[in-house]
Amino acid sequence: MKARERHEARAAYALLLPSFVGVGGFLLLPVIVVLALSFMRWDLISAPEWVGLENYAYLLSSERFANSLWVTAVFTLLAIPTSIALGLLLAIAINRGLPGTSWLRVLYVLPWVSAPLALGVVWKWILDPSYGVLNALIGERVEWLTDPQLALPAVVFVQIWSTVGYISLFFLAGLQQIPVAVYEAAKLDGAAAVRTLVAITLPLLRPTMFFVTVTSVIASFQVFDTVYAMTRGGPAFRTDVIASRIYDEAFVNLRLGRAAAMAVVLFLVLVAITLIQQRYFRRRITYDMS
Amino acid sequence: MTEQPVATVTSPARARRTPSARASRLLANTLTYAFLIAGAALMLGPFLFSLITSLKTPQQFNTSWPVSLPDPVTAQNFTSLFSEQYNFVVPIAVTAQVVLVLVAGQMLCSVLAAYAFAQLRFPGRDTLFWVYVATLMIPAVVTIIPLYSMMTSLDLKNTFAGLVLPFMFGSPYAIFLLRENFRSTPADVLDAAIIDGAGVWRRLWQIMVPMNTPILATLLLITVVTQWNNFMWPLIIAPAEEWNVITVATAALQTQYAGNWTLVMAATTIAIAPLVTLFVIFQKQITSSLGVTGVR
Repeated sequence: MKARERHEARAAYALLLPSFVGVGGFLLLPVIVVLALSFMRWDLISAPEWVGLENYAYLLSSERFANSLWVTAVFTLLAIPTSIALGLLLAIAINRGLPGTSWLRVLYVLPWVSAPLALGVVWKWILDPSYGVLNALIGERVEWLTDPQLALPAVVFVQIWSTVGYISLFFLAGLQQIPVAVYEAAKLDGAAAVRTLVAITLPLLRPTMFFVTVTSVIASFQVFDTVYAMTRGGPAFRTDVIASRIYDEAFVNLRLGRAAAMAVVLFLVLVAITLIQQRYFRRRITYDMS
Repeated sequence: MTEQPVATVTSPARARRTPSARASRLLANTLTYAFLIAGAALMLGPFLFSLITSLKTPQQFNTSWPVSLPDPVTAQNFTSLFSEQYNFVVPIAVTAQVVLVLVAGQMLCSVLAAYAFAQLRFPGRDTLFWVYVATLMIPAVVTIIPLYSMMTSLDLKNTFAGLVLPFMFGSPYAIFLLRENFRSTPADVLDAAIIDGAGVWRRLWQIMVPMNTPILATLLLITVVTQWNNFMWPLIIAPAEEWNVITVATAALQTQYAGNWTLVMAATTIAIAPLVTLFVIFQKQITSSLGVTGVR
């Protein structure tokens, strides 16, 4: 028996070895390396040089970095609530099971399977002032992506457009787990549709809501491809989200230490946001569904 | 997890059908249809517009309404993309190889790890699993600079190895997902196999893998989608043309030939079409299982 246990443990370690190379070498080690780099000055050409807290001091005083955090926050606050509300509405609509609607959800998930970079390029053309579809349809010349007031909303719209169908799939799965009996009881009590939504559907969807919110916020804080394709952070840094700033600082301006410090700050912000969300969702009542 | 409980939500209304209830149901159904169809049109529009444009000649594109149909339909944009000037064969080949290696590597390593965590007993299992799950919290943007510095110090910039090495040893997400599924494999099936003398290795391939094909298929598709669409890492580690993946090549084309929209739309069509085709073929599998992967 003892020998078999030892044999099993050895087999387990062998099975874990490759993934441990991945997790240890390419996830945990990079976190240590990024932390180390954030204390250095490095331009890719000369060797990295230890500068202590200089990069962090720079970030504290940098308007451009503050702007990036602000743009990312606005982007998230505009995109997430809208796409969650629309995704939920979409899931409820599909879940009504009207004839001919179940295949429609295929269309809603199309953006999820498509490269965000390619979709960004397509939307850049659609929003093109002279040759784009949108201006041709509305018959007016609007500078969607070069007007400082319009660029961020335009990028946010594309983000919502590309995530809403994917989000609705999770809500659909959540809706289908709610026992029908609960709705029947509500109906007998004479609850109206809105009341049913607020008092039954939303509370029972809490686990789904938590999962969708956390993953969407994390994804939204890292949005890069869409912005790269549509605006490259412009005009006048109005769409300069944090990932774009990190990329530019590291690979355009060749200030890798500074970019590493930005990445560390982003990491801390995301951890904080996730913890706050976790507390919020824990605190609210959940109905026992078992 | 197919679509059994779908229609039942509305069924109680059917039981007590008064004229006003019927009218409000009709209104609700009409609104639902209007919402779903308008949404579907908005979703499909950009795909159709880009496809239509990729089939137009530049002359027609410049002179006619963007929404008009291609007349004549031309493959000219695609043929010039594959000509020597743009050489789009290279990014397609590079992308295909990267996806193949990463999908094979990730699936294999993740299956092995998930199986060890789900079914084997060994000292330190829970701690190690906790570490794996914690790495789910690490955002990709945070690791990109250190990975770049690691890969360049290994002299792997603009190489195939640089593209795949950091991501081929499994993903914590896949391991987490598979472990949850592997754990729910009935214990008596495994006990019977142990009594029959099946070792660790045979139990994995003859029981775990065959009994979990739906989740493995879903994961396979998710991995193909993620890797085919990947952009930031290839952009950073392999900017040289001979190692461009399809997304990087498309971005470069758009920058370099700005305004040449028929050509650019042909490139986006090439980037998008393979996965859309794959998705349409396997849509039932994906749409029904994807939603379940996250919430457990």
